[in-house]
Parts: sequence; structure tokens; C-alpha cells
Amino acid sequence: MNYPHLTALGLGMSQLQESSSLKRKRQDLALVSGSMTDGERVLYNLIHSKKDMGIWTGDMKRQTNLPDSIVKKSLKLLQSKNLIKEVVNIQNKGRKHYMAAEFEPSKEITGGDWYTQGSLDTDFINLVKDVCLKCIFRQKVATHDGVLEWSRKSGVFTVEVTAQQIDEILRALVLDDEIEEVKSTGLGDFSSVPVGRICYRCKSKGGNRGEQKPGAMASIPCGVCPRINFCTPDGIISPRTCVYYQKWLDF
Amino acid sequence: MVTQFGIKFAVHLITNHFGNLVAKVCENLFSHGSLTLDQLVRYSELTKDQVKNSLLVLVQHNCCQAFVSAPEDDDDDADRLRVRTQYLVLFDNIIHRLRFPKFLETVSRKLDEECVELLDGLLRDGRLTLKQMVDRASQGKENAVDTKVVREILSKLLTARLVERCPAPEPVVSTSFKETTTRKRGAKSAKIFEAPETLEQRVLEAAVPGNALRFSFTADMRSNVDGETNSDDDQITSVEENDAKEEEILWRANFEEFIRHIRHKALIENIRTQHDDGTATVLSAVLEATKTVEKKVKMENSVPLSLDTITAEVMKTDTGRTMTIDRIRASLSQLGCSQRMIVDDAYSIDLKKIIERAQNEEVESIVLKRYGRDAYRMFRLLSKDCCFHDTDQIAASTLVEKKEAPKLLYRLWKDNYLYMEKVIATGVKQTTILMWKVNKPLVWEHVLDEMYHAALNLSLRMAFEQEKDEELLNVPKDKLKEPGPLQKKYKRLLNVWLLLGSSLMKLDEALMLFHDF
Repeated sequence: MNYPHLTALGLGMSQLQESSSLKRKRQDLALVSGSMTDGERVLYNLIHSKKDMGIWTGDMKRQTNLPDSIVKKSLKLLQSKNLIKEVVNIQNKGRKHYMAAEFEPSKEITGGDWYTQGSLDTDFINLVKDVCLKCIFRQKVATHDGVLEWSRKSGVFTVEVTAQQIDEILRALVLDDEIEEVKSTGLGDFSSVPVGRICYRCKSKGGNRGEQKPGAMASIPCGVCPRINFCTPDGIISPRTCVYYQKWLDF
Repeated sequence: MVTQFGIKFAVHLITNHFGNLVAKVCENLFSHGSLTLDQLVRYSELTKDQVKNSLLVLVQHNCCQAFVSAPEDDDDDADRLRVRTQYLVLFDNIIHRLRFPKFLETVSRKLDEECVELLDGLLRDGRLTLKQMVDRASQGKENAVDTKVVREILSKLLTARLVERCPAPEPVVSTSFKETTTRKRGAKSAKIFEAPETLEQRVLEAAVPGNALRFSFTADMRSNVDGETNSDDDQITSVEENDAKEEEILWRANFEEFIRHIRHKALIENIRTQHDDGTATVLSAVLEATKTVEKKVKMENSVPLSLDTITAEVMKTDTGRTMTIDRIRASLSQLGCSQRMIVDDAYSIDLKKIIERAQNEEVESIVLKRYGRDAYRMFRLLSKDCCFHDTDQIAASTLVEKKEAPKLLYRLWKDNYLYMEKVIATGVKQTTILMWKVNKPLVWEHVLDEMYHAALNLSLRMAFEQEKDEELLNVPKDKLKEPGPLQKKYKRLLNVWLLLGSSLMKLDEALMLFHDF
């Protein structure tokens, strides 16, 4: 095809394609909606109006006043026509939740970046944690931007990791006591970081995770005893009869 | 802050060291507060003599302080006539008995073996006069040890402030808490002090001799320990008289100074693990230079020093000789010295922060071991922020599964580690939001109580293990050396003792961290 007149008008190819595809989509929609039953149309309009939040079947029934059987049937048909999709709502996983096909579920529905299919993706979190930790350990001290850049360059992730995600991971690592937040003094390890900038430093000397030494209380049975509130010198549970002690002192 | 298990542990220590009678008197003093002799007899249901002797033991070992409550204006004649001597049990001093090995270790590190020996005598016997010390030193030796020698050793310990004069036996103390200020008698009467918080503090303050007298040898200042000196008037005492008086003075270990030493050591070691050796050296030099001007053990900030003084102090030490001023300055900044201090050239280190950090670590490590890593992150978040957070917010910031978060938080709350409040939000729907927070004073008290409980358990288990294998102690040593079941059993007992003993010593450090530092 040739569009000399369009080019002359200053319209680029891309804009043209965009406008034509839009037109087709609308046409498709018109076609589909033409073949919809009343029930389907009402339901589709409702679901579509909820955009990236979607809607629960219970709410659909209440808001449309359609009988149960029609709602069920229509939803099935709409799904088979690829107009709507079922999504998992993190707030209530048991409920059936639908959304128009063209939208991506919002954070409120998915639970945020770290959730896939409604559950926390701990493997992914651990992977990002490991990468961040390795980066900080190698560089001795690293700023937030430094970690982000390093993780992007290293190409470990197949998906794009956002600055906010790195921020959340770093904060979680601080709470894990794996790294600590320090202000750059500009001396020694900090020489590459401007004075006063917040940076992160590994706590463990080996760069491995979970290396903290237990405290005095945590290293004896009583420190972790679930029954300490029931333990008395002469009671049924006592240091004389304690099974945890028995195990601990078994040389 | 004396907790329920703290008292149980203290009574247990007294039972172990002095037997059931003394422990009973001690327990009654804990449960009823300060009591007179008659009251004690009534409560404890012992004979007057038994109570009297028990009290003497407690006083001898510095676990009890007698005081006379000052008559009040509205007292009638009968009130004025009744016996006013009351006895107050000293919780801290009882728990310090657990730390005697640490005190001895401090002396052997700072001074010499002779001092250790002398202090050992003081710790064993509680209070001694110079004459008694000489007798002790002479025991088992052919020739009696010269008083001069013992005097020399004692004065070394006095200079280091590790030994002090015993407090006044029965200071007069006002027991009414209406006034806001109290006046100290004697030389310092002009100064107005802030009112002490508790009766115990008030009694101790009244009993302690003035600083000049407390660590001084000369009996010239009169041994009535009333803070009064007979400076120019009165008769001039002859040398013999002076010596005689000197021999009457009672001495005891100065627990306060020992705790200060141990606190300093803990501060320095904490900084060493947190930062590096250089920073630890700087802190150590600062603390060493200012220890005599510290007014109390729980100093929140170190006494301000100029950079020059600090540099001079650092360079005095072996490890500090290699440090340049720049490195010292960097260490000071790592220790949290602000820009303001640099301008004023008065560096003061926030010691309370170091202690709090160590306390946090101890509690957090319990949470980690008991409730797992997710709960650990949540607890740390709440403990750092010191404010309320709702459940979802906590789950999001700590990357914990939204459904798991409430369960973990509930467990922490049930075991007194968290504080929770329900907030009803009225919007389209009425929802209850749970808000969580770490209430440090409450959690710390709870943890301390559990620690006393754990210490009591360790001690009880030690006694139990010993009792269980009592026959082993009666077996001749040679037999234990032969391989066989007996030797195996003996080795196990030794291992058990070692583990329990070292755990108790380590736990004691944590106790000090929360109670004394």
C-alpha cells in the first residue's frame, strides 16, 4: 500500500497504523456486542467500568440484580470471547474476581510487585536480596543508585527491576540486619561516595546471609522456650524435668 | 525495677550462699519492703535471735542496709519512743554476688595478684578491717604478714576506687516523700540535691560517706562516717591513736566501680564489633580519661573532652600510637560526634545509644530464634520506628505474606513483645484496623524478668546435676581416670557444668546490660 497523500500531510506511518488499529478494535467490539445478550452486555459494561480494579461476582449480582444462573452463564460466554478475564484478588483469594481483558490488575488486587498469582513470590525476593547483597559486599559500600545500576548491568534479572523495588529490598535487608545504613564520611571505604550520602554496608564479614550470632538469652533453652510461663522451680515443668535441657545437656 | 523472677533469683542466691533462714528473712524484706526487727520476727515466724543473726549476715555481706527513719513533726510521744531502725534489702548487691569472678578478673587485669587475693578476702567475708585483712593474709604462713604490706595493697585498691569504706551503719533518713529536695548533711549541706526517686536510693545516698572520706585511709577524719571532719579544732591525735582507729575502719569492695569497669568494657567491645579497633581505642581512651569524673554508673554521655586531650589520651595507649589525628577525628565521627561538637571542640560520646543498641540486639535475637525471620523483620521495623503501624503496612514494608503477618504479630503480642490497639474505621464499611507498636520499657522489663527466670533455671539445673551425680564426687580421683562408665559419667558432668556455668556468666552480662548499664 502506498499513502503519498498522508505522508504529504505530515502523518507518519506509525500514527496511521495506530489509528487504523483503533478503528478495527472498535469495530470488533461493536461486532461482539452485537452478538451479546442483554445480560452479557450489562455485565460487561459493569466489569469494564471497574477498570483495573475488577469486580467480585457477588457485587455483580447485587449491582445488576440479574439471577444467579444468567450471571454464571454470561461470565462464561464473555470469558470465551476473551472480553474478560479472571484475576486473583490478594484481599480475598477465595472470591471470583473478574476484569475486562484490556486492563492489567492494579496493585491493590495483585498485592504489589512482589506478588504473582496472589501469593508472595519469595523465591524472587530472595534472588533480588542475594543480588543486592553480593553487590554491596563486592563494593564494600554502595548507594541505592549504585545497587540499581549494578543489578541492571549485571543482567541477572530477565524482568525490569524498578528503583522502588530495589529500595524495598534494601529496606528489608536492613530489617534483616544483613546490611546497615550508614552516612558516608568520605574516608576509606567511603572515598567513592560523596560525604553525607546514605549508603549501605554489609554486616557480616563473609557476605553470607543469616550469620548473626545469637545473644546470651537466645543461646540457652529458656531463651526460646515456648513454655517458660508455665515453668516453676517445683512445678510439673521445671528445670529439673525440662526436656529441652535434657536435649541440650546430652553429651 | 525489681521484677518477680528477679526477687526469686536473689532469694535463690541467698539460699545457696547462706541457707534457708537468711533466705527467709531476705524474702520477707523483699515482699514487705523495709521492716523493723519486730515486724520481721512477726512476718517470718522465726525467733528474734534467728532474725537478728540473719540480719547480721546480710549486713556483713552488704546485702542489707539499716536506717533510722527520721521523726516527723506530727509524731506524738509514743511514736517518738518506738524503735525506728528499719532494714532494707539491697537487690543489686545480692545479684552482684553472681559477678564476683568478674570482679576478681577486673582486678587481675588492672592490678596484680596480691590485690586479687585481698579483694577475694573482701568478697568472701563481705567487710573487713585492716587487722582482719592482715590475719587473713597471714593464715597458713609461718610468719605473720606485716601490716604495712597489707596497707600498701589496700591503698592500691583504694586509689583505683575498687575498695571503699563501708557506709554508715544506721543513717537517719526521712521516709516521707513530700519534700521535693533533700539536704545532705555535713560538708555539703549548702548544696541542694534533687530528690531521689526511691527509698532505697535515699537510704544509700545518706549512708555513703563523702567522696573524700570514702576512699581515704586516714582515720584522722573520724570513722563515724558522718561526712564530718574535725579539721582544726579538737585534740591532735597521736600516731598510735590514729593507727588504732585506722584498724577499726571497715572496708568492702566498691561494687559501683566494678560495674563501671564492666560497663566500659562492654561499651568498648560493642563498638569494636560495630566499627573497628581504631574506634574502640578512641572510646577506650576517652572513658579511661574521664572515669574519675563520672558521677554515676549509668552515664548517658561521656564527659566532654577537647580533641587535643583525646589525641593525647589515645596516643598514651599501645594501639593508639599509630593513629593520626585524621583517623581519630573519623573515629569520633563514627561514634556519633556531631558537627556542633567539632565547632565547640568538646567531644562527648552518646553512651546510652551504644547500650540501647546492644539491648535491641539481645531482644531481637530472642525474637529471631523464637518466632523466625519474618517476625524478626517485623519486630525490628516496629522497634526502630517507635510508632504505631497497621498490619498491612507492616506486611508491605517487611515483605511478609499478607496472610501470615497477622498471625505472627498476634503471637508476638500474646507473648508480650508487642503492644496492640484496635482502631475502628468508619467509611462505607466499618472495619477494625489493628495497630501495632513496640513499647520498649514494657518489653524490656518483660525480657529482663525472663532473663532472671532463665538465670534461676540455669542455677537450679546446676544444683540438680550435681545432686544427680553426687556419688561421683565421693569416688577417688584415680578411679575416675580409668576408662569406663564412671569416667564417661564424670566427663559428662564436667561438660554439663562447663556449659551451664559459662551460659550463666554470659547471661549475667545480658542482665547487667538491662539492669545496671
